Amino acid sequence: MRTLHLVWAVTWFNTKMLLMSEFFVLTTFITPLIFATLAFFLFQLGGGQSGQTLLYAALGSGMMGVWSTTLFGCGGAIAWQRWEGTLELLVNAPTRYDFILAGQTFGAVILGFYGIGTTLLWGVILFGMPLTASFPLLLPFALFCAVLSLGALGMLIATTFVLYRHANALGNLLEYPIWLIAGLLVPLATLPFWVRPLSWVLAPTWGMDAIRGAALGRDIGTPLFAMLMCVVLAVIYYVLSRIALRYVLYKARREATLSLQ
Amino acid sequence: MPATQPQPAGAPPKGAAIEAIDLVRTYRTHLGVLRRKKIDVEAVRGVSFAVERGQLFGLLGPNGAGKTTTIKMLITLLLPTSGTARVMGFDVVRDTTEVRKRIGYVFGGDRGLYDRVSGWDNLKYFAELYGVDPALQDQRIAALVEMVGLTPRIKEKVEGFSRGMRQRLHIARGLLHDPEVVFLDEPSIGLDPVGARELRQTVKGLVDAGKTVLLTTHYMFEADALCDRIAVINDGRIVAEGTGADLKSAVANRTIVEIETFGVTPDAVERLRDDSDVVAVNTEERDQSEILLVQSDKGAQITQRLMGLLGDTRIGKVVTREPTLEDAYIDLIARTGSGDEAARAASVSV
Ligand SMILES: Nc1ncnc2c1ncn2[C@@H]1O[C@H](COP(=O)(O)OP(=O)(O)OP(=O)(O)O)[C@@H](O)[C@H]1O
Ligand SMILES: [Mg+2]
Repeated sequence: MRTLHLVWAVTWFNTKMLLMSEFFVLTTFITPLIFATLAFFLFQLGGGQSGQTLLYAALGSGMMGVWSTTLFGCGGAIAWQRWEGTLELLVNAPTRYDFILAGQTFGAVILGFYGIGTTLLWGVILFGMPLTASFPLLLPFALFCAVLSLGALGMLIATTFVLYRHANALGNLLEYPIWLIAGLLVPLATLPFWVRPLSWVLAPTWGMDAIRGAALGRDIGTPLFAMLMCVVLAVIYYVLSRIALRYVLYKARREATLSLQ
Repeated sequence: MPATQPQPAGAPPKGAAIEAIDLVRTYRTHLGVLRRKKIDVEAVRGVSFAVERGQLFGLLGPNGAGKTTTIKMLITLLLPTSGTARVMGFDVVRDTTEVRKRIGYVFGGDRGLYDRVSGWDNLKYFAELYGVDPALQDQRIAALVEMVGLTPRIKEKVEGFSRGMRQRLHIARGLLHDPEVVFLDEPSIGLDPVGARELRQTVKGLVDAGKTVLLTTHYMFEADALCDRIAVINDGRIVAEGTGADLKSAVANRTIVEIETFGVTPDAVERLRDDSDVVAVNTEERDQSEILLVQSDKGAQITQRLMGLLGDTRIGKVVTREPTLEDAYIDLIARTGSGDEAARAASVSV
């Protein structure tokens, strides 16, 4: 009960903080719209402008936004806290730090998924995109699984950011490649074969598959399998981040990396 | 005065609130950008002391002496390189959660706050993180805000707060969970004189309420007025420990002659230092003048001779007075090390 209250308070506080950052709002809500618009026009040029392809592109653009948000809201927030001098205080609070990280991370990820919503709305209003779903009842569960796995991955990323002062650069580096490797822009089938194993261990891949499968798929097996993979990956990420966090917190105390001075 | 040796290691007094035994902390940093040479900075080199429950303990020392590093080890933020420490009986390396529940700490300076939200929201968030019962949070925060005198401005965003206001907010933050032991690292930095006096009242109030306080400060009168016991740390080592009176007794039979001078030359100061009756000479820069603080065992009678030694230096006011804690401190630091940063980084290991 107390823990729930705590995680909720952390989530709420950090969500508020994120919404006060222009950069974050731009990343989460505006960038996906721009990508979606570009994609819509490209599809129009290619002559493949069916409702289905529009939805495919809109979901992909939305997911790109979710990924950027995850990186920024997890990793970037840690870098920011280090800069502000609050990281030391958070890590040294009598509360378990993984609860704090979880609240921060899921707050960001859930905001990211709002970005998908605005992208869809944009498509409907400006491009007359039809809002249909092959498996409407499955869709909320697919979304939930995607949030879960992205959140867990976000925690893992945030953990490394606690340790490395310059992890921010790494975070920026992770943004665009993952868009490609996770099949957000173009179908995975078009990527070289050796990229596949990489795609398979990434949450955005399966999250995307689950959502697109529930919205556009023909058989229910694909999204169900993707959802299962989301849950499996979430568990693995979580276990890894717990292990990493123990090490990171120990190392931070040994090497005095939590503050800037 | 012989440097008072702290309690022997391994025999901490029963029930002390804070016990530090042979604490050592080395930082590893790099020199240069391309060919990064590793150097070890020995910030704390074997510090031992004990603070009884309910005591107000002062840690004094020049910049870079190792005060903050010592505190960071005690509040579980840094691991000691060697040595051990306990707070309320809990080991600062192993029992971190138990220690953290019982301590509050405030670092001087204006970092460590969320600028984009209000002071109240900052406190609310930390109250949650410090495990304050949600039902009691508002009441507790309001009381603390009142105590640090921020009530009229607390709903404003912190980015608009002055340094002193931020410092007050930090003090409220450090006391949110009603900790048994409070660490204050230069808490009066950035406060105006009235604020600093109020802070001293607050600190006294904490001790009256039965809390144990460890305080660092650069203001001797603050330490003298507040602390039950004082340890002076220089170059990572404790060079003296005792009550303010103990420390002063080392210079008790001395007289301080304060000579206001205008454009005094280093040569002239050296001539004073070389005089056989002079124990120490320190200088203080003022706007237009330099004050020479001459310590001697001979009382006021050497004043005339000192003036003679200064030659044709223009001289203003001359005052003879009793030594203060500050004089004792300056004397101690002068005798126990250079206080020089360079001396510390001497241990270069490639
Ligand atoms: N993170 C760090 N990395 C490397 N060296 C450090 C680090 N933190 C402190 N030091 C060094 O350790 C020594 C002790 O520093 P510390 O901050 O403990 O001194 P202090 O007594 O608090 O000084 P001040 O009165 O200026 O606050 C200094 O030489 C400082 O340069
Ligand atoms: Mg300090």
